[in-house]
Amino acid sequence: MASVSFDNIEKNFGKVKVIHGISFDIADGEFVVLVGPSGCGKSTLLRMLAGLEEISGGDISIDGKVINDLDSKDRDIAMVFQSYALYPHMTVGQNMAFSLKLRKADKALTDERVGKAAKILNLNALLDRYPRELSGGQRQRVAMGRAIVRDPKVFLFDEPLSNLDAKLRVAMRAEIKSLHQRLKTTTVYVTHDQIEAMTMADRIVVMHDGIVEQIGTPLELFDHPCNLFVAQFIGSPAMNVFEGTLRRDGARMWVDADGQQWPVPASTSGKDGQAVHYGIRPGNMLMLEPGVGISAKVEVIEPTGAETEIIVKVGETRFTLVLHGRTDARPDQSVGLQIDVDMVHLFDRADGKRLS
Amino acid sequence: MKRAWSLRKVSTEAQLLLVGIPVLIWTMIPVYHLFLFAISPRDKATSGRLWPENPTLQNFEFVFGQKHFYLNHFWLQLGNSLMIAIATGLITLFIATTAAFAISRLKVRGGRTVMNLALFTYFIPAAFLAVPMYKTMATYGLLNNRWSLILAMVTIASPYCIWVLKQASDKLPWELDEAARIDGATPLQLFRLVYVPLMVPSLVAVGTYALLLAWNEYLYGFLLLSKETDLPLAVALGNFLSADDSPWELLMATGFIYALPPAAIYYAFKRYMVSGLTAGAAKG
Repeated sequence: MASVSFDNIEKNFGKVKVIHGISFDIADGEFVVLVGPSGCGKSTLLRMLAGLEEISGGDISIDGKVINDLDSKDRDIAMVFQSYALYPHMTVGQNMAFSLKLRKADKALTDERVGKAAKILNLNALLDRYPRELSGGQRQRVAMGRAIVRDPKVFLFDEPLSNLDAKLRVAMRAEIKSLHQRLKTTTVYVTHDQIEAMTMADRIVVMHDGIVEQIGTPLELFDHPCNLFVAQFIGSPAMNVFEGTLRRDGARMWVDADGQQWPVPASTSGKDGQAVHYGIRPGNMLMLEPGVGISAKVEVIEPTGAETEIIVKVGETRFTLVLHGRTDARPDQSVGLQIDVDMVHLFDRADGKRLS
Repeated sequence: MKRAWSLRKVSTEAQLLLVGIPVLIWTMIPVYHLFLFAISPRDKATSGRLWPENPTLQNFEFVFGQKHFYLNHFWLQLGNSLMIAIATGLITLFIATTAAFAISRLKVRGGRTVMNLALFTYFIPAAFLAVPMYKTMATYGLLNNRWSLILAMVTIASPYCIWVLKQASDKLPWELDEAARIDGATPLQLFRLVYVPLMVPSLVAVGTYALLLAWNEYLYGFLLLSKETDLPLAVALGNFLSADDSPWELLMATGFIYALPPAAIYYAFKRYMVSGLTAGAAKG
């Protein structure tokens, strides 16, 4: 069992408070991703779990045991750093065996653990090489191998793919996910890339300015963001959001914006005249002939092969649509936008909270 | 265009040579003069010739055979020089390495104060400190003991060495320490297994610097040591000049021999000397 628990965690750097009372639990074997923009406190939270930062307030527990006062080496964790942090003067094999060497483990155990990790990560041919002789992806695998050898209760990843090129990042994402499925070790993974979060996580913790905005499975966050920040942060291309006013007339509801009436889901709460943010994802709109739905004008067409991203303008507001396949639309062409009303997201303009 | 570029390149080279050649000559003339004396017979040493009529290695024979009053303890004094220089190098290295590790990696409180104090000690020239140093060694009963010179040289060399090593340490990535801590390293293990191996070029540079500083020291050796058998060779060479008819050719031959070990050490470690000292010069 290796559950992790954050209980009212606070962190101050001098007089500046950077983490404001964060609480959540991670179940044994879960892959949880902490995601958020730079400066939101996700790395700080991870480092407090690792024992690399002092905890200003609250408790962190692993398997029910509070670990605040334990040294990093006594917490039974292993960490993979953004810059790999491989020891340059040691070979790959020595890097991976280092933690066991410090514990004075016998050679048989060391060879067995290193061999097993090397096999999982395909590092057998590289054991005698030095880090400077490896590519970025290989170094990252060695860093993961070093973590695996420790056989920890929790894996910690601190933006491990940020230093890799886009193609390698995609490949390594799959490797890390497959590793987790194989080893089933509780994993806490920090990234600023919401696509990494969406593709890898069992649950995502969206952080912003030192607080947790929302916790949920990737699809929960995608389909039901609880506030405007989460709605705009999760999903690529980002959700289209604009300001409008909610109107009610008996049973009928709509949003007035840009001289048009925009459909809203039947479950919407909120008063007549309430200032709202109207959100609709690029994939939840259809482009039809002019005269149907909302009138719009095509601005830019970006074919990406399997899909086409189209930027249209309604009044002064730009919208991004994602269509499957190709289109024969042209710039400056007038079109009609059909909105999937069940996928509309409304947020109160005052506090950003979800209205439906 | 190609001709103009070549002309500019040649003129830059010519300017550099105009400065370089005189500096080289200026530096090498005394060394050449020294060598000239060392291979000249006694009566012909000051003849003013560019190359002696009958160059001889007899002077070196005298020196190695300790065949002169002033050379009675040549080998012993050479040994003293070696012992003092090596001891100074090693002790300074130990002090500077551990201090730099504590200040840079362990971030102990007062680290910056130590660094500033270290540089502050160089505001006062070493020569001014000679008399207070003499008094201090007398207080500790270390006069006429080779350890007085070793400790004095360590005192003079350490501040600079701490400063250079601390700057070089700052260039090591922080994540290495963190990774080692998570792997289970105590501070001592971190020092021994991660820090020192990665600092080797800087350590070689700093150790060599301290060693050569002690090797070339004259003033402190002259003040703190008086027994002939305790003197380093650099100080013993000074005694050559105490008589009216000093054997210049023997002095120069001894001096030439004395200059060979540092030249060899410097040549062997020149790669580290440049990289190791400049590693502390500019933050990466």
